[in-house]
Amino acid sequence: MPAKFDLNDSSVVVIIGSGAGGGTLANELAQKGISSVVLEAGKRIEISDFRNDEDAMFGLFTWLDPRTASGSWYVAQTSPDLPAWICKLVGGTTVHWGACALRFQEHEFKTRTRYGSVTGANLLDWPIELKAMEPYYDRAELKMGVTGTHGIPRLPVSNHGKVLFAGAKKMGYTQFMTTNMAINSVPRDGRAQCQQTGFCIQGCTFAAKWSTLYTELPRAEATGRTEVRPESQVLHIEHDNSGKVTGVVYADRTSAISRQRARLVAVAGNAIETPRLLLNSSSSLFPQGLANSSGQVGKNYMRHMTSTVFAIFDRPVHMYRGTAQSGIVMDEARLDTQRGFVGGYQMELLPQGLPSFAQNIVPNAWGRDRASIIDNYANIAGVWLIGEDLPRETNRITLHSSRKDQYGLPIPNVHSDDHPNDLVMQRHAVGQAEALYQSIGAKRTVFRPPFPSTHNMGTARMSDNPRDGVVNRWGQAHDVKNLFVSDGSQFTSSGGENPTLTIVALAIRQAEYIADQMSRSAL
Amino acid sequence: MKLLHWTRRFSRRGFLTRSAATAAAVAASRGAVLARAQEGGPRSLRTEEVRTLVRFTRDLFPHDRLDDSFYQRAVQPLDEEAAKDGATLELLALGVSRLNEWAQLGGGKAYADVEDESKRVALIQRLQLDPSAPADFFHKVYNTTIVSLYNQPEVWPRFGYEGPSSAEGGYLHRGFDDLHWL
Repeated sequence: MPAKFDLNDSSVVVIIGSGAGGGTLANELAQKGISSVVLEAGKRIEISDFRNDEDAMFGLFTWLDPRTASGSWYVAQTSPDLPAWICKLVGGTTVHWGACALRFQEHEFKTRTRYGSVTGANLLDWPIELKAMEPYYDRAELKMGVTGTHGIPRLPVSNHGKVLFAGAKKMGYTQFMTTNMAINSVPRDGRAQCQQTGFCIQGCTFAAKWSTLYTELPRAEATGRTEVRPESQVLHIEHDNSGKVTGVVYADRTSAISRQRARLVAVAGNAIETPRLLLNSSSSLFPQGLANSSGQVGKNYMRHMTSTVFAIFDRPVHMYRGTAQSGIVMDEARLDTQRGFVGGYQMELLPQGLPSFAQNIVPNAWGRDRASIIDNYANIAGVWLIGEDLPRETNRITLHSSRKDQYGLPIPNVHSDDHPNDLVMQRHAVGQAEALYQSIGAKRTVFRPPFPSTHNMGTARMSDNPRDGVVNRWGQAHDVKNLFVSDGSQFTSSGGENPTLTIVALAIRQAEYIADQMSRSAL
Repeated sequence: MKLLHWTRRFSRRGFLTRSAATAAAVAASRGAVLARAQEGGPRSLRTEEVRTLVRFTRDLFPHDRLDDSFYQRAVQPLDEEAAKDGATLELLALGVSRLNEWAQLGGGKAYADVEDESKRVALIQRLQLDPSAPADFFHKVYNTTIVSLYNQPEVWPRFGYEGPSSAEGGYLHRGFDDLHWL
């Protein structure tokens, strides 16, 4: 049963956030006998609260606290107060993720070495290589039940996938398949198999999709060593005179302020809230923000090069039927600078239900042309292009100079300017996607620029060198021994793959390190 | 992935407005509007103003397959908000009167009675550019009705969208892979 810890219990690990990073870390620690309190800003809902309703679920679990956006990126123009679409509830963004579970490639851990010096980019090799990550990727895939790995069968091909694969074949591509998905293709781990509902993003009503909400967190609680406190938003991390963290101050659902003491604090609030919390925890000892002697906290914000291409055919596709994102073309993910850019991109299915498609297809447009696209809804296929974007010091999360949240703390601003490499890659990707669909008879293709970011990375990055990174190879802050970062903020590069599998693998690895260090009394 | 709403400037209030677009909420609010009108409170939109908004919304999102009843339902959240909020009422009334004023000058008819679609389109284009038009009118109507139109479940089958599937066991046995034309 769930544990209940005293606020003054300074033996617990405090984990901030309950998504892919925090939820996984809590369970991994619990299985090793380590107690933790998970402070989650959002509510706890259950699978029975999920609805096949895009609008209602958006309202139920999106992180809607005020944020601003700036810079040349498209989202700052079209959605300046919602720069990212991530979640605020127990389970975090794993409730809503599409469940594409891809490993990063070897070269993506060594971007500075393999790409060389790129003007305007703050490239750095990860302090770990793919080889060191492989055992943890294995464990993450087994934990999450990733299809196409470890003998777990792939999901069947949907109508939407058939269209993508037919085009891929015409293009001469060879690496296309239903994606490695953290969605059960067969009953597994006490959860049902995918029923092809098409509402992965709104919360899987069959729990076929892995989410910490109903896997890691209840398992952690069952050990009696984990307490999850929903509606508990951390405002500050506190430290003693020696610079070790001692606990956190948080607001509960009534806005009452509590202080939970801690032996160790792990921050996993996603790559906007994590640096915001560190910056908001500045003190006389850490005037630039906690763990920020490098000045890199909040910098190197990455969100992936993204775009979507929809194609209109003269016969039905019904893209909304079936596992939403299960279909991928991987041929363009390679490193091949002859294409005019470093890094690579994946082509992944992206269906939308009628309401969201109609609302988003051509932003701010109206009239007959726009309506004619929607009139063809049943005959439309769509592919999302997701590629590596480069870290830049100037792409960063900062504290807003004047606007405050309900607790009087500065809200975050998300600044991003597209790097020229991102734009060249985007043009290439969109061109290939259009050609793919045209090769099988698309009547028309429609380009959709980026949506608000669900992949947010890099704002407390890993480096062996304390001068150019915030955390070491274990996600441990260089400046504060008992402070860890456990989410995508750690990423030194963005890779061209969806980040969740790597976040989970890093959390498993980090838990091992923490347990080892504790057993040696080094933490 | 990521889908809804990011094309609109987001606000909590905006979301509440959108979520009020359900049939039940709309029905309840109609009662409220009537009650307030009888109490002599602030007026709600006039029938003629609603008629203009219906025509305007159809011109923004012109689907010949949808009859006017869908557009009438799409403007109900505007009507409801106008009944509660004087500033919204003023904004909508001013936008409508500007459209009608220009339409009258151009052809002696109210906007909703202009038969030539291209002429109504020209009036909307002017609305977006002319500084004498209330700046937020277009966005208010657009941002509200783009949700309240396409969120009507009755609209979905007209576009071949089947909507919620979990209660029917998903699409596993209902055609997720029935495409054979390739």
